Amino acid sequence: MKKFRVTFYPANKSIDVTQGTTILSAALSCGVYINSVCAGEGTCGKCKVLVSGKTKEKESILACQTAVNENTTVEVPLETSLDLDSRIDITLQEKAITPSCKHLGVALDIGTTTVSARLIDLDNKKGLGTAITYNRQASFGADVITRIIYTAQKDGLDKLHNAVISTINRIIGSLALEFKISPSEITSVSCAGNTTMIHLLLKIDPAYIRQGAKIPLTNSMPLQKAQKAGIGINKDGSLYCIPSVANYIGGDAVSGILSSGLYKAKELSILIDIGTNGEIAVGNEEFIVACAASAGPAFEGSGLQCGMRASPGAIEKININPKDFSLTHKTILNAKPLGICGSGYISLLSAMLTSGIIDRAGKITAQKNERIRKAEYGQEFIVAPKEETQTENDIVITEADIENLKRTKAAIYSAVALLIKHMNFKISDIKNVFISGGLGTSLDIESAVGIGLLPDLERERFFFLGNSSLAGAERVLLSSQEKDLAEAIGKKVTYFDLSSEPKYMDEYMAALFFPHTDLSKFPSLKK
Amino acid sequence: MAIQILQEKWQGQVSLVTIGATKEEGGSRSSVIKIGGEKSLPALFKEGEIPHKPKVALEIWDIHPSEWPEALSKAYKDTLDDPFLWAKKCIKEYNAECICLRLQGAHPDFGDKSVEDEVSFIKEFLRKVNLPLIILGSGDDTKDNILLPACSEAAKGERCLIGSVTQDNYKDTVTSVIRNGHSLIAESPIDVNIAKQLNMLISDMGLSLERIVINPTIGALGYGLEYAYSIMERARLAALSSDKTVASPFVCFIGQEAWKAKEAKAKDTNQGVMWETITATALIQAGADLLVMRHPLAAEKVNKYIDKLFDTE
Repeated sequence: MKKFRVTFYPANKSIDVTQGTTILSAALSCGVYINSVCAGEGTCGKCKVLVSGKTKEKESILACQTAVNENTTVEVPLETSLDLDSRIDITLQEKAITPSCKHLGVALDIGTTTVSARLIDLDNKKGLGTAITYNRQASFGADVITRIIYTAQKDGLDKLHNAVISTINRIIGSLALEFKISPSEITSVSCAGNTTMIHLLLKIDPAYIRQGAKIPLTNSMPLQKAQKAGIGINKDGSLYCIPSVANYIGGDAVSGILSSGLYKAKELSILIDIGTNGEIAVGNEEFIVACAASAGPAFEGSGLQCGMRASPGAIEKININPKDFSLTHKTILNAKPLGICGSGYISLLSAMLTSGIIDRAGKITAQKNERIRKAEYGQEFIVAPKEETQTENDIVITEADIENLKRTKAAIYSAVALLIKHMNFKISDIKNVFISGGLGTSLDIESAVGIGLLPDLERERFFFLGNSSLAGAERVLLSSQEKDLAEAIGKKVTYFDLSSEPKYMDEYMAALFFPHTDLSKFPSLKK
Repeated sequence: MAIQILQEKWQGQVSLVTIGATKEEGGSRSSVIKIGGEKSLPALFKEGEIPHKPKVALEIWDIHPSEWPEALSKAYKDTLDDPFLWAKKCIKEYNAECICLRLQGAHPDFGDKSVEDEVSFIKEFLRKVNLPLIILGSGDDTKDNILLPACSEAAKGERCLIGSVTQDNYKDTVTSVIRNGHSLIAESPIDVNIAKQLNMLISDMGLSLERIVINPTIGALGYGLEYAYSIMERARLAALSSDKTVASPFVCFIGQEAWKAKEAKAKDTNQGVMWETITATALIQAGADLLVMRHPLAAEKVNKYIDKLFDTE
């Protein structure tokens, strides 16, 4: 087979590939990350690049649909490049301390969309700092299903494995740099992630997760050497993965159940993870039943025009004056606005609803205001004009964004409603609601109920935990009793499969409204 | 021992919608029709009051319906080119109680008649035909957005039933319907939740729920009739359990669906008439309040069926 050289700009990286390899595949092989929501199916149109060669004039094509047939130069435009998001944000613990000894560990939360890591001083049992970045596997599809499908391709599993390992090593590297330590001083890693993420981390074929009986190859992973998996810490350092429950209830959910204390609650409690693969667990010290709602990454700031994860500069609270739609907002660390994070979107939607900018179906109905203008599709609302932002563009929310957020909130609410119904409980029976996810530093419960994301219960029953999965990973790193508990929870949880539940679609359709089609479910919102 | 027949007691009631306004009411119609108002499931007269029979409206187009199969169009002979003659035939020969006027000619693919032309046509039609009127748009969202408000304006005070609006396209028509005193057809794609959501969106704009008629979208016999039936039944059960947001009467476009069936198009048989009749009678039992039909013979059969059904003596 002939080989040709493909060179990518502006990264200035080259690779020799055999004739017929797609440009997307060549890009991934040499570490150029291209947006590809559909994982090479040719349906999403996100991987547009400009190619030119000897016989070809410069033209715009889809990287996943174009084979290499000569030496080729590829220009990756800014909107196609995933490197935009390769920033790593580090937040220091409140009282930052320098590591006292050479005895460090890392707790990891590997999410479908974001990866978080916390450096921990094992002697003093203290967290030092937390770093967060996007999972580079995003090049292979936005959700776990497209990624599982991708592993069936040649070298697919290797590529996905390498992508997550490189994300982890980069994030550990930046933590090491920040604290002026060597990665070899890190002697143990604990990791929470959904079942697919753990399979890919350990290079185990995830195909069975979605086939036939829908049972993963394994739920529980033995303690192993981190280096074997490719994680660059001390060569004898260990890697522990929190066990999974089922194909779509992973170690991240078990970790959340552990850190929230749901497993020892006396009263009926529920844990709602607002993530790409939102897990919901209901139970108390006697039993736990869990299900997964494939909600999508909207509340993690992905897939929205001006969405971002919860890091400095993210707008996380918004107030709108219903008279003239003038607004005030608060950003994380009061930095200049950069985008909107999950809790910001929740606050924004609620404010737009109550001030009459959007109708209950999520369409912009208000007219004649300088903040409302035509967008590429439908209309958009300007949250912060470019003069006020860190970027060169206005920060906006489009009707397409609202539709996306509406679907996401409907997936989560309907899963909660169905799980509760399935267990023969009423929503009002729930005494504690634990909410986790990388939405922001805080969550306005009133707004979240107002848009119908969370059930309408007394507000003091809600507890926002932030990243409960990472918190659980930290616990198991510090205590073997907690590790035993995690193993026990993994065995104790019963899985409820929503995808085979005929009523789910109906619940979901009913929830595609602000707050809900059935207003009797939201009594506190009645006018 | 006599068998005790179990009877359901319902809390809710379907809202009552009047189509047409007489001189005393500020319009120029010779009569009005009332639909809805039932407090029971269809034909279960002992469980609750059913004050009004389902009504049949005959469908008329503003242009020649060249797509109609011969078995259907021959019933109207030479009148199809002239909507006024066509209407006259419906009234004189077929005893129509209500006319459904479809402005198909405004559709970009069917002649693209201008809004001004349609408005003057509506005005003339209202002058010449004095039955209660249903006005339907062309089916093209962009066009109907201008057309329906203009027609609603032209028919001010006549209390017409105007439609259809959908979830993605309702605002302009709703505003105009409120202002000009008409009622509205809200169309949802065989989905109870969307029907409910649309009713809420419309009533949020200020049109009272008593002026909305639901078009649940139906399928003809053999083409999804059961599906439509179960959706209508579900919505009606919710309405009778006092969910006001779905407690609107149903309008079903029987003719439009039945004559799409390939069986209905068969030549030289009565199959089309039967197809339309059976689709209509089945949906009456699902709760249909207003049936828009095409073939006069089918309409006659359905009217007879309704009379028999309501003859409870």
